[in-house]
Amino acid sequence: MEESVSGVMRGLGNNAAGRADVLYREHVQARRAKADRMMAILMVAQWFFAIGLALLVSPYAWAGKTREFHPHLLAAIFMGGGIALLPVLLALYRPGQLVTRHVVVASQMLWSALFIHLTGGRIETHFHVFGSLAFAAFYFDWGVLATATLVVAADHLIRGMLYPESVYGITNPEWWRFLEHAGWVAFEDIVLVWFAVTGLKEFKTMAARQAQVEALKESEEAKSAALQMVLREIQPSLAGSAH
Amino acid sequence: MLGLGALVWVAAVGFGFTSLFSYSVEAGTPASAPGRWPIESRMPAPPGAYRLVMTVHPQCPCSRASVTELNTLMALLRRERVKGYVLVVKPADVPDAWIRTESVRAAGRIPGVDVIVDVDGVESSRLGAATSGQVVLYDAAGRLRFAGGITPERGHIGDSAGRQRILSLVRTGAADGSDSLVFGCDLGATICPPRPHPGTSGS
Repeated sequence: MEESVSGVMRGLGNNAAGRADVLYREHVQARRAKADRMMAILMVAQWFFAIGLALLVSPYAWAGKTREFHPHLLAAIFMGGGIALLPVLLALYRPGQLVTRHVVVASQMLWSALFIHLTGGRIETHFHVFGSLAFAAFYFDWGVLATATLVVAADHLIRGMLYPESVYGITNPEWWRFLEHAGWVAFEDIVLVWFAVTGLKEFKTMAARQAQVEALKESEEAKSAALQMVLREIQPSLAGSAH
Repeated sequence: MLGLGALVWVAAVGFGFTSLFSYSVEAGTPASAPGRWPIESRMPAPPGAYRLVMTVHPQCPCSRASVTELNTLMALLRRERVKGYVLVVKPADVPDAWIRTESVRAAGRIPGVDVIVDVDGVESSRLGAATSGQVVLYDAAGRLRFAGGITPERGHIGDSAGRQRILSLVRTGAADGSDSLVFGCDLGATICPPRPHPGTSGS
C-alpha cells in the first residue's frame, strides 16, 4: 500500500514537467493563431485603405483632356488583393503554423512597398516599414523578423541597384547608404528579437508555474485519495481492536 | 499544393511590382524648347534673373510631386536671382473648376513663383512642353540652359538629376548636363493646336 502512494507522488513530478511543456506550446500556439487572425483583418483593412488612397490621390491618368484609370488604382485593387489573398487564406485555414506567419509578415512588408508607391515616395509612408516590423513581433518568433528584414533588404537592394533615387531620394548615394538604412532596421530588430526571446522565456515560466499549481492540486487530491485508501484499509483493524 | 500556390503568388506579386516599377520610371516626351526665350512670350522677364518655368497638367496626379519638387528647388535657390512660373494648361472649352486642384493651389503658395493659367497651352507650346512637369531654365540673357523634369520618377518626390543640374547651373553656371527625364501625364490635347517657334528674343 505504501509503495502505491509514493508511486503516485513520484509520477506527479514527472507529469508536471511534461504538463508545463504542453501548456507552453498551447499558449504560444494560441497567441500565434490570434496574431494570424489579427493580421488577416489588417490585410483586408489595408486593401480597402489602399484602394481609397489611390482613389483620392491618383484616380486617373490623363492625356490632354482624356482620362483613364490610373495604374496606381489598378495596382491597389489587383496587387493589393493579391498581396492580401495568400496570408488571409493561410490565416483562415492554417492558423498558428510556421508557414502562415512567415507569409503574413512577408506580405506586410510588401504592403509597405505598395503604400510607398501609391503615395509617391512620401517619406512619412516609410514609417509603415517600422510599424510592420513591430507587428511581426506579435508572433514572438525571431525567425519572422528575419523574413521581414530580408524582404525589406531585397526591395532596397534591387531598387537601389536599378534606380537609387526611388530608395534613397538622391541621385548618387554613397556606397554605405544601404548600410545606414539597414542599420535602422537592425536597430529595431535587435529590440524586437530581445522582446521575442524574453517573451518566450516568460511564457515558459508562466507555464511551469501553472503546471506546478496543477501538480500541487493533483498532489493534494492524491494525498486525499491515499489517505482515504489508508483509512479504508485500517478501518477493519481499528474496528477489530475496538471490539 | 501549398508550395505551388505560394510559387504562383510570389510570381504574381513579383510581376505586379515589376510592372509598377516600370510604369514609375517610364519617362514622358521631352520638351523641344527653343534655344532662346520666345519673343512672343507674355511672361515678364525680370532683368538679371534666371527664368524657371514649369508646365503642369492640373488634373495629372504626377503634378503634385512636380510642384512639391519645385517648392524644394525654389527654397534651395532662395538666395539666387531666379523667377519662377508655373503654367497651368487649360483647354478653352473646359470650366474653370478643371484647374482648381491641390497641385495648382500648392503652386500658388511657392514663394517667388507666379501661377499663370495657360489657355489652350499657348505659352507652353512656345516652350515646347509636351509632358506635365516639364521645366525649362533660361538665363538672364535669354539662353536656354536646361529642359527636363525635376522628379526622380513618375509622381514621386525626392532628389533628381534635374534638380541637381538646375542647382548647379544657377549657382556655378555649369552642370554635368542640360536635360533630364520628365515624368508626368501627356499634355496632349490640352495644347491645341501645337505651335511652331516662330521667333525668339535675346533678353
